[in-house]
Amino acid sequence: MRIEKCYFCSGPVYPGHGMMFVRNDCKVFRFCKSKCHKNFKKKRNPRKTRWTKAFRKASGKELTVDNSLEFEKRRNTPVKYRRELWGKTVEAMKKVEEIKRKRQSRFIMNRLKKGKQLEKTEAINEVKKNIHLIKAPHAGKAKQMEDKMVQKLAEDVEMDGAD
Amino acid sequence: MALYNFKKIMVVPTSKEFIDITLSKTQRKTPTVIHKHYQIHRIRHFYMRKVKFTQQNYHDRLSQILTDFPKLDDIHPFYADLMNVLYDKDHYKLALGQINIAKNLIDNVSKDYVRLMKYGDSLYRCKQLKRAALGRMCTIMKRQKQSLEYLEQVRQHLSRLPTIDPNTRTLLLCGYPNVGKSSFINKVTRADVEVQPYAFTTKSLFVGHMDYKYLRWQVVDTPGILDHPLEERNTIEMQAITALAHLRSAVLYVMDLSEQCGHTLKQQLELFNNIRPLFANKPLLVVANKCDIKKISELTEEDKACDKLLAARVDSKMKGKKVHDVLNRLHLAMPAKRDDKPRPPFIPEGAKVGRKTMEVDAPKRKTERDLEMEMGDDYVLDLQKYWDLMNQDEKHDVIPEIWEGHNIADYIDPEIMKNLEDLEKEEELKVKAGEYESEEESEDEEMQEIRQLAKQIREKRKMKIVCSKEKDVHGPRMPRTVKKVERKTLEKEMGGLGLDMTGKDAVSRFSFSSHYAVNARRSRSVTVLKKRKREASVAPTSRTRSQSASRPPRDQSGVRDPKMAKKAKKLMKSQQKDMNRQGKKGEADRHVFDLKPKHLFSGKRKSGTNDHR
Repeated sequence: MRIEKCYFCSGPVYPGHGMMFVRNDCKVFRFCKSKCHKNFKKKRNPRKTRWTKAFRKASGKELTVDNSLEFEKRRNTPVKYRRELWGKTVEAMKKVEEIKRKRQSRFIMNRLKKGKQLEKTEAINEVKKNIHLIKAPHAGKAKQMEDKMVQKLAEDVEMDGAD
Repeated sequence: MALYNFKKIMVVPTSKEFIDITLSKTQRKTPTVIHKHYQIHRIRHFYMRKVKFTQQNYHDRLSQILTDFPKLDDIHPFYADLMNVLYDKDHYKLALGQINIAKNLIDNVSKDYVRLMKYGDSLYRCKQLKRAALGRMCTIMKRQKQSLEYLEQVRQHLSRLPTIDPNTRTLLLCGYPNVGKSSFINKVTRADVEVQPYAFTTKSLFVGHMDYKYLRWQVVDTPGILDHPLEERNTIEMQAITALAHLRSAVLYVMDLSEQCGHTLKQQLELFNNIRPLFANKPLLVVANKCDIKKISELTEEDKACDKLLAARVDSKMKGKKVHDVLNRLHLAMPAKRDDKPRPPFIPEGAKVGRKTMEVDAPKRKTERDLEMEMGDDYVLDLQKYWDLMNQDEKHDVIPEIWEGHNIADYIDPEIMKNLEDLEKEEELKVKAGEYESEEESEDEEMQEIRQLAKQIREKRKMKIVCSKEKDVHGPRMPRTVKKVERKTLEKEMGGLGLDMTGKDAVSRFSFSSHYAVNARRSRSVTVLKKRKREASVAPTSRTRSQSASRPPRDQSGVRDPKMAKKAKKLMKSQQKDMNRQGKKGEADRHVFDLKPKHLFSGKRKSGTNDHR
């Protein structure tokens, strides 16, 4: 039993699911669902179809080169079964998975940070240009003026009083 | 030479087929149309032609059969004898004789009826004569059914005989059945004769060819001969005898030393003596076969003596170049020694082992099937017990394959622990370097306020867009000044923007009552109108947009009194009547719905008009 990878979307193909296509040159293609299969038949390039993992890796949206990703790979030399080795492997798998997850999310976070910066500048621009939709430019100015005048008068009065 | 053309004999059809073929040929190849009003000589000629044509056909075909089949007197005595053995000379001759008779009879019939037809005086008569003639010929042919069948069989068998040329160099193999003659011919030539453990596997003569000294040699394999007098021999043995008798060849008498053929050496010798007369004038060779099973040295004294005798006889009888040649061929060639280096034959280990196992019956390994039989119902197929692991007690473990969507087999690596350690160290370093700390962006108050404002701006903008989309732009658009603006709305709007709307100042500044038309006051019904009087309250303080308010509506301008107004209205209505009746939208509506409606232009006009039909 193996969980294969779908050729198109790189998703997992569990046993009993999906389809397998063998081409005349003996290359095997596995698909997880008919969506991937139909896209393949339409000769679409998975590296250009935005929702596939292949696209995300090819366009740098996800972590591609990392040590934690080197653990899972297809090896060609079989290893004879040893209980302690298998046990250790399972433990290792769990730890590696954790680290992998952390690193992947870190990568994506870093990528999205730039967006936040852009958002900030945009807000500032927006406010600068279109503030008139919320607040009239000289709103409250009259009152301000009045207050100022009142204040001035008060001061004058004070000053007069002092004299 | 006729000898080799046995394959070229024409197929002999069955009697029924023969008749069918000939009659249909007559039908096709002769004219078919005749009428009774034709001239009598024409009719006669027509029917005579048919009779003659049929006769000619029969004659030709039968002659062909007669010439194709070989005459036993004309062919080589070997073939004659062989055919006699196989097909019985008398029967053969009889069959051919019958065919000949039939041919003659048919000729006679045709002659008679043609003569008769000369005196036929009507179409009917001639036709009957023709019918009778053809009928008789066909009856004659029907009677030949047996002969034709027999000849067909003979032909088929004859075509399958091996082409033995009695005049070339030949080697003839003979001996008891199962001594190894067919095996010998298989080895020496490219022939593929069946070799089986039972006697009389070879039932007829077989020919093979081989090359020696740039010459082609025929090797003839015969069926085995048993030891009994000539009269009692069956067809198969007779073939061998025939071959022996007639073919001028070197004879190889094959003997089986190991007596595997089922006959002792003595019996074989006796046979040899019995057929000795057949070997007259022929170079003879005695072949001792199957010596891998029993070597000559293992023969008993008696046998040896016989051998010796044989050998002596053989020596005395050997003559002729041919035999010498053949002898050389049959001896084992020993290469001359180049040097003293011993060169023993090389037998690989596996062959030796194989031979040993063949000789000794080694105890076989216990198979799963044996186990199953032993244990009966308790037996469980457990292939894992044969596994060869480092720890033998782990053999029956259940091996995990998948964890959380990952294949464990992809992670198996003898160095996985080392790699994991490296990875963890790396991770620690990274954590220390602070890569994983999420930056909580503590924005200052100002930034937050700006964000808030931006949000409000965006919302307001969206609202405005939606509102403007909802406005009805397709109908007639009234200028802004026509509408009345409520004080309340203005207050609310300006208040929302932060401007203070209380106080008279605002009112005086935005004197909307003067600015905008007060349409609410003017109702649709025509009220008392003063001549050129304006509404008192509508006293314009500024000239800017007040003139539109002062203009009277169109249906009241230039109208003096109610009487005139009435008349004006009446005129308006009368003009509209027409348009309304025709369903027009207005003055300018010139749309024609259907210039040529079908129901007015098609069909017959029964009584009257074209407005309706």
